[in-house]
Amino acid sequence: MKKLLALVLTMIMVLSMASFAVAEGTTTVTWWVFPTFGQPDGAAPGTYERTIADAFEAKFPNIKVEIETIDFQNGPDKLISAIEGGTAPDVLFDAPGRIIEYGKNGKLVSLDDLFTDEFKADVASEDLLGACSDGTTYWMYPISSSPFFMSLNKDKFESSGAIEFVNLEGDRTWSTEDFLKALDKLNEAGELGGSVYCGGQGGDQGTRAFVANLYGARIANEAKDSYTIGSDEGVKALGLIKELVDAGKLEAGTDIVAGDEIKLYVQGILPYSICWGTSAAANNPTDFEKISVPFPSDDSVPELEYLVNGFCVFNNNDDARANAAKELIKFICDDEEFGPKNVLATGAFPVRTSFGNLYEGNPEYELLSAFTKYYGPYYNTMDGFANMRFEWWNMLQSILVGTKDIPTAVADYTTNSNAAFAK
Amino acid sequence: MSTNIFAREHKIQAQQTRVSYYFLLPALLFFVVFVALPMGMGVYTSFFKYTMSEFKFIGIDNYLNLFKDEIFVRSVKNTLIIVVGSVPIVTIFSLWLATIIYNMNSFSRSFFRAVYYLPVVTGSVAVVVVWKWIFDRYYGILNFVLQGLGIINKNVAWLGQVDTAIWCILTILLTTSVGQPIVLYVASLGNIDRSLTEAAEVDGATSFQVFWRIKWPTIMPTTLYVVVITTINSFQCFALIQLLTNGGPAFSTSTVMFYLYHNAFKLFEYGYANAMGVVLAILIGVFSALQFKVMGNKIDY
Repeated sequence: MKKLLALVLTMIMVLSMASFAVAEGTTTVTWWVFPTFGQPDGAAPGTYERTIADAFEAKFPNIKVEIETIDFQNGPDKLISAIEGGTAPDVLFDAPGRIIEYGKNGKLVSLDDLFTDEFKADVASEDLLGACSDGTTYWMYPISSSPFFMSLNKDKFESSGAIEFVNLEGDRTWSTEDFLKALDKLNEAGELGGSVYCGGQGGDQGTRAFVANLYGARIANEAKDSYTIGSDEGVKALGLIKELVDAGKLEAGTDIVAGDEIKLYVQGILPYSICWGTSAAANNPTDFEKISVPFPSDDSVPELEYLVNGFCVFNNNDDARANAAKELIKFICDDEEFGPKNVLATGAFPVRTSFGNLYEGNPEYELLSAFTKYYGPYYNTMDGFANMRFEWWNMLQSILVGTKDIPTAVADYTTNSNAAFAK
Repeated sequence: MSTNIFAREHKIQAQQTRVSYYFLLPALLFFVVFVALPMGMGVYTSFFKYTMSEFKFIGIDNYLNLFKDEIFVRSVKNTLIIVVGSVPIVTIFSLWLATIIYNMNSFSRSFFRAVYYLPVVTGSVAVVVVWKWIFDRYYGILNFVLQGLGIINKNVAWLGQVDTAIWCILTILLTTSVGQPIVLYVASLGNIDRSLTEAAEVDGATSFQVFWRIKWPTIMPTTLYVVVITTINSFQCFALIQLLTNGGPAFSTSTVMFYLYHNAFKLFEYGYANAMGVVLAILIGVFSALQFKVMGNKIDY
């Protein structure tokens, strides 16, 4: 028995040493992915990412990539637990909101060395570069970007007569006045209005863009050192929304979040969505024809919110892993074959102008491409952004259920958000 | 001679005690590593400004700030409403149902025990999805039924209104909380000495007297357990809130656990969140101690 035990232990030792010998010289990086890439033929999450990783491993045989898929519901909490527990991934594919927060808190590796002059010159706009930095350090390496906009149910707008007030020409910009007339038509036809969803944080960029555009308010000032929806324009817009909700022309979405709003729109219950984007369009096919439009604004010149997809590298106190992680993200974003292919898989526009027009002959994307000139200031990297988001949907709830009057709700929001900024 | 026997007995006893501790050691190790140590760290870090990038001693500032924080105070009130609302109802309702189920034949008894226990073993996400559909404003069955009965004339956003959201949470909490008490009460009722109840009935005791004088005191240990566990679970109500209302609308369903989670995982205020955890633990401790004090005296083991 003792001999058998000794034999087993010896074998375990030999095998361990052998595997160590194989592993020696190989760096393993872990890559956590939110479901941002589209999957081929409805395959399981992570399938497309695996093909990228396989191609990368073929090119860099000394680097092994392990992929873990996370979802938008539980992923952020899982990330925080991993970061604080010392088990953060090496690479994360996400957006600036969270990434810049991690960077500011010293959890990431600086990506300044990836932002070469060639890359900076190739990126479509200064704002896109600004979205990747906290002002001093680049924390996110961007791959693609796309605007958030509204999507209208063409059938409902046509049958109610509301289509008369929708601009279907050019960039399809429209005024607040026309939007209100369209709401009247929908209401007269017995249709519901759109929902001002505020049951939680998810997709809150939609309600922020909707509120801010109505009368030309700004969520943050030019200097990006103050949250400013408490302006006259902002208060006026919130007052209008409350009036429309009370009149039954808009839905008080205190019990739904963006995902629910999109679902209700796709099901044909709501006549339009204010949380639409290329990703929503790709993942939510509809039985009706859709019309993409920018948000209505008083001067018909909207300021749109936009998504920037990019990668960050966590600081796991291992230079070899950090360098391998950087190689991986350069491959994903810049590889001649996989770079453009990966941009297409995000359903968004490349940040690199050298990739050219990837959606040649696609009229919808040509329209969306025109929307990019209406990109507003990118404030998602401001200090206290996470706190401001919490204050935002709670402010909307207070106004819509009437627990606070508008000036009080806005004052509380502004005070708390700016206090978080100053912390 | 007697001294020798005494010494030997003492030695054997000490040896047995030592062996018992060895057996306890693995469980104790787990308890220390996964319960006692995190609890201790939670209390310790509650005295620090502890965020993603900061760890600075600030004394009792987190605790002082808690009581200036309107949302926290609101969350404590909501938590107390949930506890005070759910504990008596869960206890009375489950005892009533258990009494009915206990008097059924064995097949029906097993069937109903399984039915009421089902929500306990079903994942909270699945339970919440079903309830969310029931309460849905646009296609929920509750609105459909109530409109059919002529009780309401337009769809109601049950989870989106201040005066209804907390009651929806309470309702769901009740359905997920009664399963275990029912099973325990059915078992406990089975342990009552039949000769006592039969003797009382022969002596002319009414059903109420039999219940109040004989059954109730006998099942008191079970009642104490049910009350304490339901209280603790109600204080820790979190998943329902997170999945259904996010504490809204206007903080009307925010609980201490939910607000704690929000501060820790959304705002990265770990020290502040830990201070909330300590306050919650104290509240649970006080409530449980009171329950033991009030009900424990009536228990005759």
